[in-house]
Amino acid sequence: MTVDGLITAAAAVPLPSDGRLTGGVYVWNGGDRELTVPEGARASLLLLHAEEHKAEIGIEIGRGAELSVVELFTSAADAVLHLTQDEASLCRMTALVLSSARVHHTIDLVQRDARFDLGGAFVLSGDDRADWKIDVNHRSSDCSSRSVVKGVASGSAYGRFGGLVYVAPDAQRTDSQQTSRNVTIGRDARVETAPQLEIYADDVKCSHGATVGQIDGEAIMYMRQRGLTETQARRLQIEGFVGDAVMHSAVESVAEPLARIVAEKLETI
Amino acid sequence: MLVVKNLHASVAGKEILKGIDLRVKPGEVHAIMGPNGSGKSTLASVLAGSEKFTVTQGEVTFLGRDLLTLPIEDRARMGLFLGFQYPVEIPGVTMANFMKIAVNEHRKYRGEEPLTAGEFLRLMREKSAIVELDPKLTSRAVNEGFSGGEKKKNEIFQMAMLQPKLAILDETDSGLDIDALRIVATGVTRLHTADNATVVITHYQRLLDYIVPDYVHVLYKGRIIYSGDKSLALKLEKEGYDWLINDYREEER
Repeated sequence: MTVDGLITAAAAVPLPSDGRLTGGVYVWNGGDRELTVPEGARASLLLLHAEEHKAEIGIEIGRGAELSVVELFTSAADAVLHLTQDEASLCRMTALVLSSARVHHTIDLVQRDARFDLGGAFVLSGDDRADWKIDVNHRSSDCSSRSVVKGVASGSAYGRFGGLVYVAPDAQRTDSQQTSRNVTIGRDARVETAPQLEIYADDVKCSHGATVGQIDGEAIMYMRQRGLTETQARRLQIEGFVGDAVMHSAVESVAEPLARIVAEKLETI
Repeated sequence: MLVVKNLHASVAGKEILKGIDLRVKPGEVHAIMGPNGSGKSTLASVLAGSEKFTVTQGEVTFLGRDLLTLPIEDRARMGLFLGFQYPVEIPGVTMANFMKIAVNEHRKYRGEEPLTAGEFLRLMREKSAIVELDPKLTSRAVNEGFSGGEKKKNEIFQMAMLQPKLAILDETDSGLDIDALRIVATGVTRLHTADNATVVITHYQRLLDYIVPDYVHVLYKGRIIYSGDKSLALKLEKEGYDWLINDYREEER
Protein backbone atom coordinates (compact mmCIF):
# COMPACT_ATOMS: atom_id res chain seq x y z
CA MET A 1 0.00 0.00 0.00
CA THR A 2 1.62 3.21 -1.10
CA VAL A 3 0.76 6.72 -0.01
CA ASP A 4 3.04 8.51 -2.48
CA GLY A 5 0.07 8.82 -4.81
CA LEU A 6 -1.58 11.14 -2.31
CA ILE A 7 1.39 13.47 -2.13
CA THR A 8 1.62 13.64 -5.91
CA ALA A 9 -2.12 14.11 -6.40
CA ALA A 10 -2.20 16.98 -3.93
CA ALA A 11 1.15 18.45 -5.04
CA ALA A 12 1.92 18.56 -1.33
CA VAL A 13 5.08 20.21 0.00
CA PRO A 14 7.04 19.45 3.20
CA LEU A 15 6.25 21.43 6.32
CA PRO A 16 8.05 24.76 6.65
CA SER A 17 10.62 24.89 9.44
CA ASP A 18 8.75 27.62 11.31
CA GLY A 19 5.60 25.45 11.31
CA ARG A 20 3.43 28.22 9.83
CA LEU A 21 0.92 26.88 7.34
CA THR A 22 0.15 29.92 5.24
CA GLY A 23 -1.38 28.32 2.15
CA GLY A 24 -1.29 25.33 -0.17
CA VAL A 25 -1.04 21.66 0.74
CA TYR A 26 1.55 20.38 3.23
CA VAL A 27 2.56 16.87 4.08
CA TRP A 28 3.70 15.50 7.41
CA ASN A 29 5.04 11.99 7.73
CA GLY A 30 6.66 11.72 11.11
CA GLY A 31 8.04 13.52 14.16
CA ASP A 32 6.55 15.70 16.88
CA ARG A 33 5.52 19.11 15.57
CA GLU A 34 3.82 22.32 16.64
CA LEU A 35 2.05 24.02 13.75
CA THR A 36 -0.01 27.15 13.27
CA VAL A 37 -2.40 28.37 10.64
CA PRO A 38 -2.16 32.15 10.86
CA GLU A 39 -5.23 34.38 11.09
CA GLY A 40 -7.30 34.31 7.92
CA ALA A 41 -5.02 31.77 6.16
CA ARG A 42 -6.30 28.73 4.27
CA ALA A 43 -4.20 25.61 4.17
CA SER A 44 -4.42 21.88 3.72
CA LEU A 45 -2.43 19.21 5.45
CA LEU A 46 -1.83 15.52 4.84
CA LEU A 47 -0.90 13.52 7.92
CA LEU A 48 0.48 10.20 6.72
CA HIS A 49 1.26 7.43 9.15
CA ALA A 50 2.90 5.03 6.75
CA GLU A 51 5.43 3.60 9.18
CA GLU A 52 5.41 2.44 12.76
CA HIS A 53 5.96 5.52 14.85
CA LYS A 54 4.91 7.56 17.82
CA ALA A 55 4.07 11.18 17.26
CA GLU A 56 2.47 14.24 18.79
CA ILE A 57 1.19 17.02 16.62
CA GLY A 58 -0.26 20.28 17.87
CA ILE A 59 -2.01 22.70 15.54
CA GLU A 60 -3.35 26.15 16.33
CA ILE A 61 -5.87 27.46 13.86
CA GLY A 62 -6.04 31.23 14.02
CA ARG A 63 -9.01 33.54 13.85
CA GLY A 64 -11.01 33.08 10.66
CA ALA A 65 -8.46 30.56 9.35
CA GLU A 66 -9.33 27.35 7.58
CA LEU A 67 -7.51 24.07 7.69
CA SER A 68 -8.39 20.92 5.76
CA VAL A 69 -6.77 17.77 7.08
CA VAL A 70 -6.54 14.28 5.64
CA GLU A 71 -5.04 11.80 8.06
CA LEU A 72 -4.26 8.28 6.98
CA PHE A 73 -3.00 5.33 8.98
CA THR A 74 -1.56 2.52 6.91
CA SER A 75 0.91 1.34 9.49
CA ALA A 76 0.75 0.74 13.21
CA ALA A 77 1.20 4.17 14.76
CA ASP A 78 0.59 5.81 18.08
CA ALA A 79 -0.52 9.32 17.30
CA VAL A 80 -1.81 12.29 19.23
CA LEU A 81 -3.30 15.25 17.41
CA HIS A 82 -4.28 18.35 19.34
CA LEU A 83 -6.21 21.07 17.53
CA THR A 84 -6.90 24.45 19.06
CA GLN A 85 -9.36 26.55 17.13
CA ASP A 86 -9.72 30.31 17.47
CA GLU A 87 -12.76 32.44 16.69
CA ALA A 88 -14.64 31.65 13.47
CA SER A 89 -12.00 29.17 12.38
CA LEU A 90 -12.89 26.08 10.44
CA CYS A 91 -11.29 22.67 10.41
CA ARG A 92 -12.49 20.02 8.01
CA MET A 93 -10.97 16.62 8.52
CA THR A 94 -11.01 13.21 6.89
CA ALA A 95 -9.36 10.45 8.90
CA LEU A 96 -8.90 6.86 7.81
CA VAL A 97 -7.46 4.13 9.98
CA LEU A 98 -6.56 1.13 7.83
CA SER A 99 -4.19 -0.65 10.19
CA SER A 100 -3.55 -1.25 13.85
CA ALA A 101 -3.21 2.10 15.55
CA ARG A 102 -3.68 4.15 18.67
CA VAL A 103 -5.21 7.46 17.78
CA HIS A 104 -6.12 10.32 20.06
CA HIS A 105 -7.69 13.45 18.66
CA THR A 106 -8.36 16.39 20.93
CA ILE A 107 -10.15 19.40 19.56
CA ASP A 108 -10.43 22.54 21.64
CA LEU A 109 -12.88 25.11 20.34
CA VAL A 110 -11.64 28.00 22.45
CA GLN A 111 -13.29 31.02 20.83
CA ARG A 112 -16.78 31.60 19.51
CA ASP A 113 -18.05 30.49 16.10
CA ALA A 114 -15.33 27.89 15.55
CA ARG A 115 -16.37 24.89 13.51
CA PHE A 116 -14.95 21.37 13.40
CA ASP A 117 -16.13 18.76 10.94
CA LEU A 118 -14.76 15.22 10.83
CA GLY A 119 -15.63 12.31 8.56
CA GLY A 120 -13.70 9.20 9.41
CA ALA A 121 -13.57 5.47 9.09
CA PHE A 122 -11.59 2.53 10.32
CA VAL A 123 -11.33 -0.64 8.28
CA LEU A 124 -9.67 -3.49 10.14
CA SER A 125 -8.93 -7.02 9.06
CA GLY A 126 -6.79 -9.97 10.16
CA ASP A 127 -5.64 -9.30 13.70
CA ASP A 128 -5.59 -5.49 13.46
CA ARG A 129 -6.17 -3.64 16.72
CA ALA A 130 -7.24 -0.02 16.67
CA ASP A 131 -8.18 2.33 19.46
CA TRP A 132 -9.48 5.74 18.45
CA LYS A 133 -10.40 8.49 20.86
CA ILE A 134 -11.90 11.79 19.84
CA ASP A 135 -12.43 14.48 22.45
CA VAL A 136 -14.22 17.58 21.27
CA ASN A 137 -14.23 20.37 23.84
CA HIS A 138 -16.63 23.22 23.34
CA ARG A 139 -14.99 25.86 25.53
CA SER A 140 -16.71 28.90 24.04
CA SER A 141 -20.19 29.79 22.81
CA ASP A 142 -21.66 29.39 19.32
CA CYS A 143 -19.25 26.72 18.14
CA SER A 144 -20.28 23.68 16.18
CA SER A 145 -18.75 20.25 15.77
CA ARG A 146 -19.68 17.19 13.83
CA SER A 147 -17.92 13.84 13.79
CA VAL A 148 -19.13 10.84 11.86
CA VAL A 149 -16.97 7.76 12.17
CA LYS A 150 -17.71 4.46 10.45
CA GLY A 151 -16.03 1.27 11.56
CA VAL A 152 -15.60 -2.10 9.88
CA ALA A 153 -13.88 -5.06 11.51
CA SER A 154 -13.39 -8.50 10.02
CA GLY A 155 -11.28 -11.57 10.79
CA SER A 156 -10.25 -11.38 14.43
CA ALA A 157 -9.80 -7.61 14.33
CA TYR A 158 -10.80 -5.37 17.19
CA GLY A 159 -11.76 -1.73 16.94
CA ARG A 160 -12.57 0.63 19.74
CA PHE A 161 -14.05 4.07 19.36
CA GLY A 162 -14.37 6.50 22.22
CA GLY A 163 -15.90 9.85 21.55
CA LEU A 164 -16.39 12.57 24.11
CA VAL A 165 -18.15 15.84 23.58
CA TYR A 166 -17.61 18.27 26.43
CA VAL A 167 -19.60 21.50 26.63
CA ALA A 168 -18.29 24.07 29.13
CA PRO A 169 -20.72 26.03 31.35
CA ASP A 170 -20.56 29.19 29.25
CA ALA A 171 -20.49 27.44 25.85
CA GLN A 172 -24.09 28.36 25.06
CA ARG A 173 -25.63 27.66 21.67
CA THR A 174 -23.25 24.80 21.06
CA ASP A 175 -24.26 22.63 18.15
CA SER A 176 -22.67 19.23 18.25
CA GLN A 177 -23.25 15.94 16.54
CA GLN A 178 -21.37 12.71 17.04
CA THR A 179 -22.08 9.48 15.24
CA SER A 180 -20.34 6.13 15.40
CA ARG A 181 -21.64 3.40 13.07
CA ASN A 182 -19.98 0.03 12.93
CA VAL A 183 -20.21 -3.28 11.18
CA THR A 184 -18.53 -6.51 12.19
CA ILE A 185 -17.96 -9.29 9.69
CA GLY A 186 -17.66 -12.82 10.96
CA ARG A 187 -17.88 -14.19 14.46
CA ASP A 188 -14.46 -13.22 15.75
CA ALA A 189 -14.38 -9.55 14.83
CA ARG A 190 -15.24 -7.04 17.54
CA VAL A 191 -16.07 -3.37 17.75
CA GLU A 192 -16.75 -1.41 20.89
CA THR A 193 -18.03 2.10 20.78
CA ALA A 194 -18.46 4.46 23.68
CA PRO A 195 -19.81 7.88 22.83
CA GLN A 196 -20.11 10.28 25.73
CA LEU A 197 -21.60 13.67 26.33
CA GLU A 198 -20.65 15.96 29.16
CA ILE A 199 -22.77 19.08 29.07
CA TYR A 200 -22.62 21.98 31.52
CA ALA A 201 -24.46 24.63 29.49
CA ASP A 202 -28.22 24.70 29.09
CA ASP A 203 -28.82 26.17 25.64
CA VAL A 204 -27.20 23.50 23.48
CA LYS A 205 -28.05 21.16 20.65
CA CYS A 206 -26.16 17.92 21.02
CA SER A 207 -26.90 14.61 19.42
CA HIS A 208 -25.02 11.39 19.46
CA GLY A 209 -25.62 7.91 18.22
CA ALA A 210 -23.72 4.67 18.10
CA THR A 211 -24.49 1.32 16.54
CA VAL A 212 -22.69 -1.95 15.99
CA GLY A 213 -24.30 -4.31 13.52
CA GLN A 214 -23.71 -7.05 11.04
CA ILE A 215 -23.79 -7.03 7.28
CA ASP A 216 -27.34 -6.64 6.03
CA GLY A 217 -28.35 -10.10 4.81
CA GLU A 218 -31.39 -8.78 2.96
CA ALA A 219 -29.21 -6.43 0.94
CA ILE A 220 -26.81 -9.26 0.09
CA MET A 221 -29.74 -11.40 -1.11
CA TYR A 222 -31.04 -8.46 -3.14
CA MET A 223 -27.71 -7.90 -4.88
CA ARG A 224 -27.19 -11.61 -5.54
CA GLN A 225 -30.64 -11.76 -7.10
CA ARG A 226 -29.36 -9.20 -9.57
CA GLY A 227 -26.42 -11.41 -10.45
CA LEU A 228 -23.64 -10.30 -8.09
CA THR A 229 -21.64 -12.93 -6.26
CA GLU A 230 -21.78 -12.95 -2.50
CA THR A 231 -18.25 -11.55 -2.35
CA GLN A 232 -19.09 -8.73 -4.75
CA ALA A 233 -22.24 -7.93 -2.84
CA ARG A 234 -20.44 -7.82 0.51
CA ARG A 235 -17.67 -5.65 -0.83
CA LEU A 236 -20.08 -3.25 -2.50
CA GLN A 237 -22.07 -2.93 0.69
CA ILE A 238 -19.00 -2.25 2.82
CA GLU A 239 -17.63 0.17 0.23
CA GLY A 240 -20.94 2.00 0.35
CA PHE A 241 -20.86 1.99 4.12
CA VAL A 242 -17.45 3.59 4.48
CA GLY A 243 -17.81 5.51 1.22
CA ASP A 244 -19.15 8.77 2.63
CA ALA A 245 -15.91 9.66 4.33
CA VAL A 246 -13.85 8.98 1.23
CA MET A 247 -16.22 10.56 -1.26
CA HIS A 248 -16.23 13.82 0.67
CA SER A 249 -12.53 14.01 1.36
CA ALA A 250 -11.52 17.23 3.12
CA VAL A 251 -8.73 17.63 0.56
CA GLU A 252 -10.51 17.06 -2.71
CA SER A 253 -7.45 16.36 -4.83
CA VAL A 254 -6.66 13.19 -2.85
CA ALA A 255 -10.19 11.74 -2.92
CA GLU A 256 -9.37 9.37 -5.77
CA PRO A 257 -6.06 7.91 -4.52
CA LEU A 258 -7.64 7.69 -1.07
CA ALA A 259 -10.55 5.67 -2.46
CA ARG A 260 -8.05 3.35 -4.16
CA ILE A 261 -6.15 2.78 -0.92
CA VAL A 262 -9.40 2.06 0.91
CA ALA A 263 -10.50 -0.33 -1.86
CA GLU A 264 -7.16 -2.15 -1.52
CA LYS A 265 -7.73 -2.54 2.20
CA LEU A 266 -11.28 -3.75 1.59
CA GLU A 267 -9.83 -6.58 -0.51
CA THR A 268 -8.45 -8.00 2.72
CA ILE A 269 -11.71 -8.22 4.61
CA MET B 1 -39.42 -22.88 -19.22
CA LEU B 2 -40.27 -23.38 -15.55
CA VAL B 3 -41.58 -26.66 -14.19
CA VAL B 4 -42.36 -26.90 -10.49
CA LYS B 5 -43.31 -30.33 -9.18
CA ASN B 6 -44.64 -31.07 -5.72
CA LEU B 7 -42.55 -28.32 -4.12
CA HIS B 8 -42.45 -28.30 -0.34
CA ALA B 9 -40.54 -25.68 1.64
CA SER B 10 -40.32 -24.70 5.26
CA VAL B 11 -38.88 -22.02 7.47
CA ALA B 12 -37.75 -22.75 11.04
CA GLY B 13 -39.38 -26.17 10.90
CA LYS B 14 -42.75 -24.81 9.78
CA GLU B 15 -43.94 -26.01 6.40
CA ILE B 16 -45.16 -23.12 4.24
CA LEU B 17 -45.29 -24.66 0.77
CA LYS B 18 -47.08 -27.99 0.79
CA GLY B 19 -46.81 -29.35 -2.71
CA ILE B 20 -46.82 -26.71 -5.44
CA ASP B 21 -47.20 -27.71 -9.07
CA LEU B 22 -46.72 -25.05 -11.71
CA ARG B 23 -45.72 -25.01 -15.35
CA VAL B 24 -44.79 -21.80 -17.15
CA LYS B 25 -44.06 -21.66 -20.88
CA PRO B 26 -42.39 -18.88 -22.87
CA GLY B 27 -44.78 -16.08 -23.79
CA GLU B 28 -47.14 -16.77 -20.89
CA VAL B 29 -48.32 -14.54 -18.10
CA HIS B 30 -49.38 -16.23 -14.87
CA ALA B 31 -51.02 -14.55 -11.93
CA ILE B 32 -50.82 -16.03 -8.47
CA MET B 33 -53.44 -14.81 -6.06
CA GLY B 34 -54.54 -15.88 -2.64
CA PRO B 35 -55.25 -14.67 0.86
CA ASN B 36 -52.52 -13.34 3.16
CA GLY B 37 -50.18 -15.96 4.52
CA SER B 38 -50.98 -18.51 1.84
CA GLY B 39 -47.33 -18.78 0.76
CA LYS B 40 -47.21 -16.53 -2.32
CA SER B 41 -44.10 -14.60 -1.32
CA THR B 42 -42.47 -17.76 -0.02
CA LEU B 43 -42.90 -19.37 -3.43
CA ALA B 44 -41.24 -16.37 -5.07
CA SER B 45 -38.36 -16.39 -2.56
CA VAL B 46 -37.79 -20.13 -2.86
CA LEU B 47 -37.65 -19.94 -6.65
CA ALA B 48 -35.18 -17.05 -6.41
CA GLY B 49 -33.05 -19.11 -4.03
CA SER B 50 -33.50 -17.37 -0.69
CA GLU B 51 -31.50 -19.21 1.95
CA LYS B 52 -34.11 -18.44 4.60
CA PHE B 53 -36.21 -21.36 3.39
CA THR B 54 -35.44 -25.06 3.20
CA VAL B 55 -36.82 -27.09 0.33
CA THR B 56 -37.90 -30.39 1.84
CA GLN B 57 -39.43 -32.10 -1.19
CA GLY B 58 -40.09 -31.70 -4.88
CA GLU B 59 -38.18 -30.42 -7.88
CA VAL B 60 -37.91 -27.34 -10.03
CA THR B 61 -36.41 -27.16 -13.49
CA PHE B 62 -35.72 -23.84 -15.19
CA LEU B 63 -34.67 -23.87 -18.84
CA GLY B 64 -33.97 -27.57 -18.45
CA ARG B 65 -31.69 -27.20 -15.43
CA ASP B 66 -32.24 -28.27 -11.86
CA LEU B 67 -32.90 -24.85 -10.35
CA LEU B 68 -32.74 -25.86 -6.71
CA THR B 69 -29.05 -26.77 -6.81
CA LEU B 70 -28.00 -23.38 -8.21
CA PRO B 71 -26.87 -20.42 -6.09
CA ILE B 72 -29.03 -17.28 -6.15
CA GLU B 73 -26.73 -15.38 -8.51
CA ASP B 74 -26.60 -18.18 -11.10
CA ARG B 75 -30.39 -18.38 -11.16
CA ALA B 76 -30.41 -14.63 -11.77
CA ARG B 77 -27.78 -14.82 -14.51
CA MET B 78 -29.73 -17.62 -16.23
CA GLY B 79 -32.58 -15.17 -16.50
CA LEU B 80 -34.71 -15.48 -13.39
CA PHE B 81 -35.66 -12.11 -12.00
CA LEU B 82 -37.47 -11.43 -8.75
CA GLY B 83 -39.21 -8.10 -8.31
CA PHE B 84 -39.10 -7.63 -4.54
CA GLN B 85 -42.14 -6.78 -2.53
CA TYR B 86 -39.90 -4.70 -0.29
CA PRO B 87 -36.92 -3.47 -2.33
CA VAL B 88 -33.87 -3.15 -0.10
CA GLU B 89 -32.01 0.10 0.55
CA ILE B 90 -28.24 -0.02 0.11
CA PRO B 91 -26.66 3.16 1.49
CA GLY B 92 -23.61 4.51 -0.31
CA VAL B 93 -24.05 2.27 -3.37
CA THR B 94 -25.32 4.15 -6.41
CA MET B 95 -27.92 2.59 -8.70
CA ALA B 96 -25.62 3.17 -11.66
CA ASN B 97 -22.67 1.38 -10.06
CA PHE B 98 -24.87 -1.47 -8.86
CA MET B 99 -26.53 -1.97 -12.25
CA LYS B 100 -23.22 -1.75 -14.08
CA ILE B 101 -21.82 -4.65 -12.08
CA ALA B 102 -25.09 -6.59 -12.42
CA VAL B 103 -25.38 -6.13 -16.20
CA ASN B 104 -21.75 -7.05 -16.74
CA GLU B 105 -22.04 -10.14 -14.54
CA HIS B 106 -24.96 -11.26 -16.70
CA ARG B 107 -22.91 -10.60 -19.83
CA LYS B 108 -19.92 -12.46 -18.47
CA TYR B 109 -22.14 -15.46 -17.73
CA ARG B 110 -23.24 -15.47 -21.37
CA GLY B 111 -19.65 -15.10 -22.55
CA GLU B 112 -20.09 -11.51 -23.70
CA GLU B 113 -17.74 -8.56 -23.31
CA PRO B 114 -18.57 -5.97 -20.64
CA LEU B 115 -20.35 -2.84 -21.85
CA THR B 116 -18.32 0.30 -22.36
CA ALA B 117 -19.18 3.31 -20.18
CA GLY B 118 -20.97 4.94 -23.12
CA GLU B 119 -22.99 1.85 -24.01
CA PHE B 120 -23.99 1.42 -20.40
CA LEU B 121 -25.17 5.03 -20.05
CA ARG B 122 -27.23 4.73 -23.22
CA LEU B 123 -28.80 1.50 -21.96
CA MET B 124 -29.69 3.13 -18.64
CA ARG B 125 -31.26 6.12 -20.32
CA GLU B 126 -33.27 3.96 -22.67
CA LYS B 127 -34.52 1.60 -19.97
CA SER B 128 -35.32 4.24 -17.36
CA ALA B 129 -37.68 5.81 -19.91
CA ILE B 130 -39.75 2.59 -19.99
CA VAL B 131 -40.91 3.15 -16.43
CA GLU B 132 -40.66 6.94 -16.50
CA LEU B 133 -37.97 6.72 -13.82
CA ASP B 134 -36.25 10.02 -13.19
CA PRO B 135 -32.73 9.46 -14.61
CA LYS B 136 -31.36 11.40 -11.64
CA LEU B 137 -32.34 8.49 -9.40
CA THR B 138 -29.65 6.36 -11.00
CA SER B 139 -26.96 8.50 -9.40
CA ARG B 140 -28.56 8.08 -5.98
CA ALA B 141 -27.95 5.22 -3.56
CA VAL B 142 -30.00 2.09 -4.29
CA ASN B 143 -33.57 2.66 -3.10
CA GLU B 144 -32.38 5.04 -0.38
CA GLY B 145 -34.94 7.75 0.18
CA PHE B 146 -36.99 6.53 -2.80
CA SER B 147 -40.76 6.85 -2.45
CA GLY B 148 -42.85 3.68 -2.52
CA GLY B 149 -43.71 4.29 -6.16
CA GLU B 150 -40.08 5.00 -7.11
CA LYS B 151 -38.95 1.78 -5.47
CA LYS B 152 -41.38 -0.29 -7.51
CA LYS B 153 -40.56 1.58 -10.72
CA ASN B 154 -36.93 0.93 -9.90
CA GLU B 155 -37.62 -2.81 -9.73
CA ILE B 156 -39.10 -2.75 -13.22
CA PHE B 157 -36.23 -0.56 -14.41
CA GLN B 158 -33.80 -3.24 -13.21
CA MET B 159 -35.91 -5.88 -14.92
CA ALA B 160 -35.64 -3.86 -18.14
CA MET B 161 -31.86 -3.59 -17.72
CA LEU B 162 -31.38 -7.32 -17.15
CA GLN B 163 -33.96 -8.62 -19.66
CA PRO B 164 -34.87 -11.80 -17.78
CA LYS B 165 -36.41 -14.91 -19.31
CA LEU B 166 -38.71 -15.29 -16.34
CA ALA B 167 -39.79 -12.40 -14.14
CA ILE B 168 -41.52 -13.12 -10.86
CA LEU B 169 -43.08 -9.92 -9.56
CA ASP B 170 -43.93 -10.16 -5.90
CA GLU B 171 -46.75 -7.73 -5.13
CA THR B 172 -45.27 -5.10 -7.38
CA ASP B 173 -48.63 -3.32 -7.19
CA SER B 174 -48.80 -2.99 -3.41
CA GLY B 175 -48.56 0.55 -2.11
CA LEU B 176 -48.91 2.16 -5.52
CA ASP B 177 -51.29 4.94 -6.43
CA ILE B 178 -53.25 4.70 -9.67
CA ASP B 179 -50.68 6.58 -11.78
CA ALA B 180 -47.69 4.64 -10.49
CA LEU B 181 -49.62 1.40 -10.96
CA ARG B 182 -50.36 2.28 -14.57
CA ILE B 183 -46.71 3.18 -15.24
CA VAL B 184 -45.34 0.05 -13.56
CA ALA B 185 -47.89 -2.25 -15.23
CA THR B 186 -47.41 -0.67 -18.65
CA GLY B 187 -43.67 -1.09 -18.22
CA VAL B 188 -44.07 -4.79 -17.49
CA THR B 189 -46.35 -5.21 -20.52
CA ARG B 190 -43.87 -3.45 -22.77
CA LEU B 191 -41.13 -5.81 -21.64
CA HIS B 192 -43.22 -8.87 -22.40
CA THR B 193 -42.27 -10.86 -25.51
CA ALA B 194 -43.04 -14.28 -26.97
CA ASP B 195 -39.77 -15.58 -25.52
CA ASN B 196 -40.08 -14.53 -21.92
CA ALA B 197 -42.63 -15.20 -19.22
CA THR B 198 -44.02 -13.29 -16.28
CA VAL B 199 -45.44 -14.50 -13.00
CA VAL B 200 -47.24 -11.77 -11.09
CA ILE B 201 -48.13 -12.26 -7.48
CA THR B 202 -50.92 -9.94 -6.48
CA HIS B 203 -53.80 -9.33 -4.15
CA TYR B 204 -55.74 -7.19 -6.52
CA GLN B 205 -57.47 -7.62 -9.81
CA ARG B 206 -56.67 -4.02 -10.81
CA LEU B 207 -53.08 -4.88 -11.81
CA LEU B 208 -54.48 -7.55 -14.12
CA ASP B 209 -56.42 -4.93 -16.07
CA TYR B 210 -53.02 -3.94 -17.47
CA ILE B 211 -51.09 -7.18 -17.28
CA VAL B 212 -53.59 -9.63 -18.73
CA PRO B 213 -52.81 -13.12 -17.46
CA ASP B 214 -53.19 -16.33 -19.43
CA TYR B 215 -53.62 -18.25 -16.20
CA VAL B 216 -54.74 -17.30 -12.73
CA HIS B 217 -53.84 -19.57 -9.81
CA VAL B 218 -55.16 -19.43 -6.30
CA LEU B 219 -52.68 -20.33 -3.61
CA TYR B 220 -54.07 -21.34 -0.26
CA LYS B 221 -52.27 -22.90 2.68
CA GLY B 222 -49.23 -23.69 0.57
CA ARG B 223 -51.04 -25.34 -2.33
CA ILE B 224 -52.49 -24.18 -5.60
CA ILE B 225 -56.11 -25.08 -5.02
CA TYR B 226 -57.59 -23.71 -8.22
CA SER B 227 -56.46 -22.48 -11.62
CA GLY B 228 -58.40 -20.68 -14.28
CA ASP B 229 -58.18 -17.99 -16.92
CA LYS B 230 -58.36 -14.22 -16.42
CA SER B 231 -62.08 -14.39 -15.61
CA LEU B 232 -61.15 -16.11 -12.35
CA ALA B 233 -59.46 -12.93 -11.13
CA LEU B 234 -62.63 -10.94 -11.81
CA LYS B 235 -64.72 -13.48 -9.96
CA LEU B 236 -62.34 -13.41 -7.00
CA GLU B 237 -62.49 -9.63 -6.93
CA LYS B 238 -66.28 -9.78 -6.72
CA GLU B 239 -66.80 -12.79 -4.51
CA GLY B 240 -63.59 -13.14 -2.52
CA TYR B 241 -61.85 -16.43 -1.80
CA ASP B 242 -64.43 -17.97 0.49
CA TRP B 243 -66.27 -20.02 -2.12
CA LEU B 244 -62.98 -21.60 -3.23
CA ILE B 245 -61.73 -22.14 0.27
CA ASN B 246 -65.01 -23.75 1.31
CA ASP B 247 -64.92 -26.06 -1.69
CA TYR B 248 -61.36 -26.93 -0.82
CA ARG B 249 -62.28 -27.72 2.78
CA GLU B 250 -65.05 -29.99 1.54
CA GLU B 251 -62.56 -31.82 -0.61
CA GLU B 252 -60.05 -32.12 2.24
CA ARG B 253 -62.69 -33.82 4.31
